[in-house]
Amino acid sequence: MQISFLIHNAYGIGGTIRTTYNLANTLAEQHDVEIVSVFRHREKPVFAPDPRVRMRDLVDIRAGGADAGDPELDRPARVFPRADGRYKQYSALSDRRIAEHLATVDADVVVGTRPGLNVHIARQTRRGPIRVGQEHLTLDNHSARLRATLRDAYPRLDALTTTTEADARSYRNTMRLPGVQVRAVPNPVPAPAIEPADGSGQWVVAAGRLAPVKRYDLLVRAFDKVREQRPDWRLRIYGGGGQKGKLRALIDELGLYNHVYLMGPAHPIEPEWVKGSIAAVTSSMESFGMTIVEAMRCGLPVVSTDCPHGPGEIIDDGVDGRLVQVNNADAVAGGLLELIDNGALRQQMAHAALKNSGRFDPSRIAEHYESLFAALVARGGGTFGGRLRGSLHRTRGALLEGAYTVRDAGRRALRKGGTA
Amino acid sequence: MSAPAPRADCVADPEGGLTFAVTAPGGPGPAHLVLRLRGGEQETRLPLTPAGTGRLRCALPGDAELPEGRWDVYVQTADGAPRRLLPGLNDLRRLVDRVPGGAGGRVAVRIPYATKYGNLSVRSWLRAPHAEAGDLHVGGDGLGVSGRVYGTSLTEDAYVEAVDREGAASVARAGLSADGDAFHCTVAYGAPAPGVLDLWLRPVGEAGPRVRIARLLDDVADKKLVFVYPGVALKTDHGPVVAVPYYTTDNDLSVAVTKAD
Repeated sequence: MQISFLIHNAYGIGGTIRTTYNLANTLAEQHDVEIVSVFRHREKPVFAPDPRVRMRDLVDIRAGGADAGDPELDRPARVFPRADGRYKQYSALSDRRIAEHLATVDADVVVGTRPGLNVHIARQTRRGPIRVGQEHLTLDNHSARLRATLRDAYPRLDALTTTTEADARSYRNTMRLPGVQVRAVPNPVPAPAIEPADGSGQWVVAAGRLAPVKRYDLLVRAFDKVREQRPDWRLRIYGGGGQKGKLRALIDELGLYNHVYLMGPAHPIEPEWVKGSIAAVTSSMESFGMTIVEAMRCGLPVVSTDCPHGPGEIIDDGVDGRLVQVNNADAVAGGLLELIDNGALRQQMAHAALKNSGRFDPSRIAEHYESLFAALVARGGGTFGGRLRGSLHRTRGALLEGAYTVRDAGRRALRKGGTA
Repeated sequence: MSAPAPRADCVADPEGGLTFAVTAPGGPGPAHLVLRLRGGEQETRLPLTPAGTGRLRCALPGDAELPEGRWDVYVQTADGAPRRLLPGLNDLRRLVDRVPGGAGGRVAVRIPYATKYGNLSVRSWLRAPHAEAGDLHVGGDGLGVSGRVYGTSLTEDAYVEAVDREGAASVARAGLSADGDAFHCTVAYGAPAPGVLDLWLRPVGEAGPRVRIARLLDDVADKKLVFVYPGVALKTDHGPVVAVPYYTTDNDLSVAVTKAD
């Protein structure tokens, strides 16, 4: 198959970029893969793609680059949806270049990697290729305006992938997507290039942006309770962000400065995970939970809040980690102490975490995509039948649009349609 | 386009040794890993040997002579100029909570790290004797320090002193309670003038050597940003001041005294 990814900016860093490279590199072992970056702001990408993956860009915004100073850059985008958080970076020029790309794209499958680009793909891909939209965030975190835009555009996709089953259910239950395959495909996480943790240290490790949603304040408070019982254990929190000052003040207020350390950002993170024996996640929301998988692949059992959406689908509670109540420092402390006080259980869960996280290996995730793509191509993408089907479900989507209030009745029919 | 810059993975052992695995050194013939002391003339060359999968390996033993400082790391092939190495994976897990044997009465610490320009360097400390700081306790009137000595023994005359860096005068002295090589003391701040107080241990009292109290035995190359402590407000003849313990750029323990506004 020829597979063409469309990404906001393949030259930067970030979860979607890493995920796309991991997937593209693995698919390139069997297929013809390209990554098309809407923007290019530097000479070389931070993550080097496999040499078999072709890279190109549509709008060159490097200083002195081909498109620098183009007047169309200053005119607002009209196709790229205003409700996508990246709207301000898009322009009449990006609209035109993306449209030209999608009108001529030489591929069996076109994959979008954010809502705004999925809208372009849904509306502008030439007849023929299978249209796949990836959602890396979650439906219930999209604004009402973005949801309305997607409701309009997504029925024209052939498939929509989410990172969790929970999010896939949201799409199936609240959006009419007849004929669209809605599938949960987790993010790929490669095996670390370092020996897994041996579990000998007395360290709990957490890693992520110091953002309010990560609730590291809860983790610090939970660790205050851990310290009362096990002063020999300590906590490292890796990452940078706006909450640093507040967390510092909380650590000092609780007198935890010998037990809780703000380590700052670490790249790569794997050598830091393996210094720990338990990983902790205290978020109020995780659209997937990449750090949980990373820690497990490094041989750490994870104690995580059972928050929406990912943790409960990654951790097998009591087997390869612990799920605890959201926003409850006692519950977090209880989960940590359970593993701290029981070395045998900790080792057993560590082994299970290492084994069970193998399902997120890029090779396994690529298989999910391959089977999805292959089934859609076989169903008739790129053929007259496919085109006919395409225009048909587009019409059905439009027809169903008026029936939104009849939710429960529609849901059943929708599920049928979604799994056909 | 130039060849990709060579990179080195680094594994630290608990006795201060480092193993380097270099990728893509470029150029034929025998290659060396070169460590150069920043701001100095000294250089250490280690022969690289093939380690399979196109990588070259060398080891810096724990007892190698590597004076204290920052050592920039290069790779040099037979026919080329040294090329600066980029950091790969630094596996420093054996340094966390390190308890060195203290062979030869000295403590050798080497921590590889990425410089702010993204290059590979190694921080080296070589101390004999050494006083390692552990937990600190920030109290209303003084600083509690728990630690351990290496390469010396604590006597009944042992004490810790706070020395004003500018005047080099001892401004506070604290007796310590010892348990073998472990010690604890509380250094009273008194009424310090604005400035910096450096903390020293005198293991055999006034007559013997001064040992700078430092925190060296873990995987954190630059302690200042990670080991952070609250300050205490003090009233002095110089007006109100705030005293905050901190680790210097060499990871030595000091107290910053600043005017409170």
